Amino acid sequence: MEKTNEQKSSVESGILDNALVMIAVLEERGRIVSWNHAAETITGYSQQEVIGSNLIWKKLYPDKDYRTVITLKIAGILKTKNFFENLETTIRTRSGESRTILWNTKKIPSGDLPRTITVGMDVTNEQEAMAFRGSIIDNAYVLIAVLGPLGTILVWNKAAERITGYSPEEVIGRRDIWKKLYPDAEYRRAITQKISRIIFESNYFENLETTILTKSGDRRIISWNTRQIGAGGIYHEIAIGRDISEQRKAEEALIAYMTEMTMRLKQPVGIISSTLLESAQMVREGVLTTEEIVLVLEGQARNATQIAANIQEFQTAIVDRDRSIPEAYRKFLEG
Amino acid sequence: MPDIFDVQDLEQKKIFLILATPGMIRERNIEIIKEISAQGYHTVVITTNFPYSILAKLYAQSGIPGESVTFIDAVTRNSIGNAQNIPGVVRYINNPTNLTDMGIAVTEVLHEHSEKKICIMYDSVSTMLIYLSSANISKFIHFVTNKLRLMDVSGIFLAVEKGLDPMLMTQLTTFVDKVIDTA
Repeated sequence: MEKTNEQKSSVESGILDNALVMIAVLEERGRIVSWNHAAETITGYSQQEVIGSNLIWKKLYPDKDYRTVITLKIAGILKTKNFFENLETTIRTRSGESRTILWNTKKIPSGDLPRTITVGMDVTNEQEAMAFRGSIIDNAYVLIAVLGPLGTILVWNKAAERITGYSPEEVIGRRDIWKKLYPDAEYRRAITQKISRIIFESNYFENLETTILTKSGDRRIISWNTRQIGAGGIYHEIAIGRDISEQRKAEEALIAYMTEMTMRLKQPVGIISSTLLESAQMVREGVLTTEEIVLVLEGQARNATQIAANIQEFQTAIVDRDRSIPEAYRKFLEG
Repeated sequence: MPDIFDVQDLEQKKIFLILATPGMIRERNIEIIKEISAQGYHTVVITTNFPYSILAKLYAQSGIPGESVTFIDAVTRNSIGNAQNIPGVVRYINNPTNLTDMGIAVTEVLHEHSEKKICIMYDSVSTMLIYLSSANISKFIHFVTNKLRLMDVSGIFLAVEKGLDPMLMTQLTTFVDKVIDTA
């Protein structure tokens, strides 16, 4: 059944009003002819306030300079074509909130008066979410680099800059950062071969440790993890690097310290024990004078006292090195 | 027990690190002195555990001639503050941590016996670890081994087996000519 003009207009009006994007129909000089429900919701201005004049633009863009910039931008676009796509502007709503709108326009024939249908999508939340994600990546404490298909760096976060000394400007869009971080050709080749082998086997690698040379010439140990991300046939590699140089140093120091103390505790106790047993045997055999027995006992008592001091030193060192030890244990270890 | 040393090694003034279990270290000390005395060597024993008077008795019991050994004793003065040196027999130093005095004593005793075939024995690296860090011991042994090489004297360092960490063991191995594990 053919729809009457009235019915058609009612359907169009329904679509316009129920759309989830701002839709405004403009006449020349931006006078509003139509203003849908979403436009009311987003801007806070009702149809009654808007239709029939172009004053709404001053309200949406109250800053004169910004309004001029937008106007010039639109004029520039319309010089070459009679529509624009994905023009992003920031409007001020009635309640004073800022919202980011992505505009698309199309001229529509409407008798003698040319009209423009303007569709504005509120992308504020998406942009905030994107900014939030970007901020998480940028402010993560670990080095994050995203590599494009040819190894071009697409993302290089603040931690990457802090750890390596190379800024995003020096790295993004380029592929030569790895040569800078691994200047030794042989080491770079060995690392590349290792990575290629792992990637070939499992598409990603976990906790791969390499030593990089930073811009300032320091060496840092980085533990790398990678994942392939993406969809629709375009894949990127995300590389996450944790600077474990200090952890390694602490581990090495702790091992060195524990080894030293083992050497200076276990073995001397064995010596004291053997000396006392030998002395006891000599006493039984009547070899030692009283003075010599005293000498041996005093000597071994001194050794034992020194070992106790060494243990105390060891405990103190452990407490100093490991701040995570609970207070009660800390006090006990500090003696 | 077969001979610990090769006669030629001693004649070539080599420096040795001898390893033994804690229970056998004294016995090794006596065996070594006996063996090298039999080769006509005069031994300077640096003792950091048993007092000289006891070691001298043990040597005598084992048939080692008293005149073939001189002691640097780092134990006795810690108990008897006024122990007096006996020229040609014993020199006392105040305690095992005084490496400067120990170094001076070694140098002087070596000069006193410079006309003899001389060998120095350090008993033991392990006891020194009670009082000194491995870094300081390593430096001291480096100093002593250099001195021995300059003076063309053989040296023996006694230590408890499995008692030295890999780092110290590596360092000592580079300072000496031969490591002999008697455990």
